[in-house]
Amino acid sequence: MTRHGRKPDDTTLSVWQVIELARHPDRPYSLDYIRRLAPDFIELHGDRLSGDDPALVGGIGTWHGRTTVFLGHQKGRSLKERVARNWGMMHPEGYRKAIRLAHHAAKFRFPIVSLIDTPGAYPGAGAEERGIAAAIAEAIMEWFRIPVPIVAAVIGEGGSGGALGMGVADRVIMLENSIYSVASPEAAASIVWRDNNRKVEAAEQLQLTSRDLLAMGVVEEVVTEPKGSARTDYDVAAAALDEALNRHMQSLLTQPTDELLQHRYERFRYIDSLVHAEPHFGPKV
Amino acid sequence: MSALAKPATELRIAGGKLPEIPLPTNCPGCGVALDLEVMRKHNYVCSQCGHHFRLGADAWIALIADRGSWIERWGDVRSHDLLNWKVPKPYQEVVEKLLEDGLNEAVRTGTCTLAGRPIWLAAFDFRFVGGTLSIVAGERLARGMEQAASSGIPYVLISASGGARMQEGVLALMQLAKVNAALGRLHAAGVPYFSVLTDPTFGGTAASLALLGDINIAEPGAAIGFTGPRVIKQATYADLPPGFQSAEFQLSHGQVDMVLPRTELRRLLAHLLEMYP
Repeated sequence: MTRHGRKPDDTTLSVWQVIELARHPDRPYSLDYIRRLAPDFIELHGDRLSGDDPALVGGIGTWHGRTTVFLGHQKGRSLKERVARNWGMMHPEGYRKAIRLAHHAAKFRFPIVSLIDTPGAYPGAGAEERGIAAAIAEAIMEWFRIPVPIVAAVIGEGGSGGALGMGVADRVIMLENSIYSVASPEAAASIVWRDNNRKVEAAEQLQLTSRDLLAMGVVEEVVTEPKGSARTDYDVAAAALDEALNRHMQSLLTQPTDELLQHRYERFRYIDSLVHAEPHFGPKV
Repeated sequence: MSALAKPATELRIAGGKLPEIPLPTNCPGCGVALDLEVMRKHNYVCSQCGHHFRLGADAWIALIADRGSWIERWGDVRSHDLLNWKVPKPYQEVVEKLLEDGLNEAVRTGTCTLAGRPIWLAAFDFRFVGGTLSIVAGERLARGMEQAASSGIPYVLISASGGARMQEGVLALMQLAKVNAALGRLHAAGVPYFSVLTDPTFGGTAASLALLGDINIAEPGAAIGFTGPRVIKQATYADLPPGFQSAEFQLSHGQVDMVLPRTELRRLLAHLLEMYP
């Protein structure tokens, strides 16, 4: 697998500063990118079972001459919109909508682009009552059967199972100042210390920056952001993301389906294979 | 003769004798004084109130596997401190201490027979870092599922887990995808997968393999969910009703097929293995 890691120009940021950039309220969100990638984007709604989850936008757009299904977590910009979007935290309906649209893509042979930007799945009673665990579990399993190319990009926060439920893809890339973690630093602190005020210490241990993930072999590429991070120039950030997504997609479009699915399987089945390379890294098999 | 037609006592501990486990002097459910030998014969279920005590992987293997049939696989796969995790406790030390105590990671897997029929069995052990899904756990689960898929041998899972292991970072999260990829192959191969959810099953384990059984069986009173109650309260300030996320709650919310006492589990599994040949 090719890895196009580029050294970010600013290596002096602390882990917590990176997290603050990843969560910055002015950071471009999924729709800011999708509308630049595919100006004719048409949003499609609903899981066809019980509801529509505004924390995940999905729809179709023409991207490099090809109808493409776009999916993305959407945080809100104003307080009102943040509430409506539930801060980008999906309910079970969101994962069911995503899989519905993935089947739609499969039917018409549209490739899929998934943009990840969520603190995590919604940690509330309603989500539990409607089966959030099973919704994520089924989504993760189902992504391995979707017979069209999928490229995912973490554009801000990649939080836990809520992110992975949208992150099973043939290629996964990350914007430079985004994070991807087993749990948010707050949740990890709450679990390990039983005190979510230890979030900075937790963050420093979790190895959740784009460079950490590239080194671990979990993502294929880190996409450089404009100076001062993506929030300073949406157009430049979107162009860089567009170029990287398209480059990965082009190499996938020509692959026969069975090969594509086999590679997707192997990508995750052996995702921790780099742990063999370093003695302190993972299991001795 | 169908397994369900046999008297319960005959099949109850047809496997090995259960190991001794530390018990409180009185049952937390009803307060009755507990006798270890009686409890051991009763699969560590309180005979007064039906309180189910948590079992480790060793006890589950003894309970499920026919005596002498257990062949453990990949027991030598080991965790390493890949993130160099130091505070509040160095991860490497925690793991080494647990290994010294005789625990072998959060998941043990292998083959055995149940009432004479071959199965793959995987059991979580909550005593090992909260039964958390780690690289080793994921690797053992995925390898077992791949072999079950190719050999057509039914797969039985016993889960008891807090979710993904924080100390292995994002690679622990990736185990959800790794295990579910293998689980997809098990399903595609048409191999039966029976998932037994015990107290507690949360987070990444619930959001990957535990709720995707062909038949999901929960133990009475087991807490099952995605986000733990402490985090839900912290995040939403919600007052959670009694019984929230219990096995019975998950039954009424459509997530499990049945809530079944441990004393009847072996008999049911034996019968299912006859029905899904």
